[in-house]
Amino acid sequence: MSTAVMNSPAKNVVKLGDKAAGRGVMDQVLVDLGTENEDVWTVCADMSTYLGSFRKAFPDRYIDVGIAEQTSVGIAAGLALEGAIPFVAGMAPFISMRSLEQVRSDVCYQDLPVKFVAWYGGLTTGGGSTHNAMEDIALMKQLVNMDVVSVGDPNMVGALMRASMDHPHPLYIRFGVGKGDPCLYDPETISVEIGKGILAREGSDATILAHGDLVFEALRAAEALAETGVNARVVDMYSIKPLDKELLLRCVEETGHIVVVEDHLTFGGLASSIADALMDERVMPRSFRRLGVPQIYSGFGSPQVNWAQYGYDRGGIVAAVIEMLG
Amino acid sequence: MADREQVRHLEGMAVEMRRNLLRLALSFDGPVHLGGDMSMTELLIALYHYGMNVDPADIRAAERDRFILSKGHGAVGMYIAMALRGFYEFDDILATYGQFGSAYGMHPCRTQLPALESSTGSLGHGLPIAVGLAFAARQRKQTHRVFTLIGDGESCEGSIWEAANTAGSYGLGNLVGVVDFNKQLMTNLNGNTMNLEPFADKWRAFRWNTIEVDGHDMAAICDVLDNLPPADGNRPTMIVAHTIKGKGVSFMERSIAWHANNLNQEFFDIAMAEIDAAAAKLEGAVA
Ligand SMILES: Cc1ncc(C[n+]2csc(CCOP(=O)(O)OP(=O)(O)O)c2C)c(N)n1
Repeated sequence: MSTAVMNSPAKNVVKLGDKAAGRGVMDQVLVDLGTENEDVWTVCADMSTYLGSFRKAFPDRYIDVGIAEQTSVGIAAGLALEGAIPFVAGMAPFISMRSLEQVRSDVCYQDLPVKFVAWYGGLTTGGGSTHNAMEDIALMKQLVNMDVVSVGDPNMVGALMRASMDHPHPLYIRFGVGKGDPCLYDPETISVEIGKGILAREGSDATILAHGDLVFEALRAAEALAETGVNARVVDMYSIKPLDKELLLRCVEETGHIVVVEDHLTFGGLASSIADALMDERVMPRSFRRLGVPQIYSGFGSPQVNWAQYGYDRGGIVAAVIEMLG
Repeated sequence: MADREQVRHLEGMAVEMRRNLLRLALSFDGPVHLGGDMSMTELLIALYHYGMNVDPADIRAAERDRFILSKGHGAVGMYIAMALRGFYEFDDILATYGQFGSAYGMHPCRTQLPALESSTGSLGHGLPIAVGLAFAARQRKQTHRVFTLIGDGESCEGSIWEAANTAGSYGLGNLVGVVDFNKQLMTNLNGNTMNLEPFADKWRAFRWNTIEVDGHDMAAICDVLDNLPPADGNRPTMIVAHTIKGKGVSFMERSIAWHANNLNQEFFDIAMAEIDAAAAKLEGAVA
């Protein structure tokens, strides 16, 4: 497994809630990786404005195919067959759905080290259901050889891209809007490893396991719960596949109650991976709740409004924890 | 045939549509796809107010012409053109656009908004769906046409050419495509990375009856719509409309930044003044 200490562009200490741009981090880290390794390429489908630095630095290792996501992935597979390390950058719905077969049969089937960097995970576009990626984790984690991480902290996007360099397999890196995202950690204080989770807040009454943007909501919920005397633990389960089973089992043992929160359908994502793992280990938590998108095509509106509507924003998390503790 | 007065009336509609686009973009706290809305303004007005047989009072009429906005991110433009035709109230759009629970959002949602023929938003889907509608009409011996408006950037998608090949092969004469050829994608100009040219010839090669037109010349667009081959013919038609992204507002024209952007009061004022000035010139020319 590959580890990378986070490498933040900011010198100052990063505090919870500070804003940064995951997409900006992505572009900058691509330049760093491209400088360190001349096999690094970037391929996109009409996403050039978000990749301006890489494009400028390495025009001969940059391909924008226009709005043709399937072809962008096929080309990345071709590059990887020639020994390149391609990053495919784009919007989560179109990478995961439009080019699904290329991802599976061109990349995963041949176990090629193509990295997918995907923003607008979950209900974060505001664009309605054609643009929501609420199935992407289910689709991606199902693919043999593919690993899946979902990142809430914008600086961790870069850390995972770095970690992916020692990971000679396909990897799907998912985040939210990628602009003005709240930071979760001071980069100096954590290490990032594909296959590991982060204990983001200690607590003993219940564990909230979340990924992506919802980690921030979970931390805010835990703060609110603390005021009512409930000590909720928060785990950032950014590595959905492979799953940090050890940490999961420890949480069940130490806190009993498990709430899984994700900006994704409640079935098929992290909650399902956790339920599978617990059943396989024959471990039964005292209670188990999944919060996320129900079986619905949601409407328009901001991510926060959508999360609240379906009961998985900070308020929804607080309510669920209080209810399960009875 | 559209007489001078009719064309003048449609041009006035186009001015009003641009004004409403600006009003909506000002009131909405988020990005609106103004570039592509402005480039297809004349096309949508000509279709909804002249070329297509549609009736806001009878939105399920069996042989109404069908319209699918394949470049679904232009939804705001379509809502406004349809509102001007009487399908919706512009004030409703203005009051609720983009909010949770509203039928009006960034991409058209058929299940929420009556009078739409299909939901779209992911590029490269509308043309194949339109081909499906055209097959159904032909088999049922219905006489209406199926219109669809696609983006030039969208035409990078393989599914566009798969559908083009199907429609050409099966000779769907009742299918009329319009492409908003504004020579821009989302993040690049045509020719900068991808090159679509020779664009019209590509459609010809796929056995489409292909017509090129200035997409901002209302009289010319009407003329093309007047002279469509019969719907029971054996070739689909593609109207390649040469347009300018952001047309009508100098700082939006040919600008990558205005593919989709937030409009503040300052920019709104400048833009509205330009639209007003152009409208006044139009009045003067007629008088
Ligand atoms: C499959 C898919 N990929 C990407 C997008 C994001 N996107 C929205 S609009 C756009 C550019 C569209 O360009 P074009 O078709 O030329 O439309 P216009 O310039 O008229 O706005 C892109 C890439 C999308 N909506 N669907």
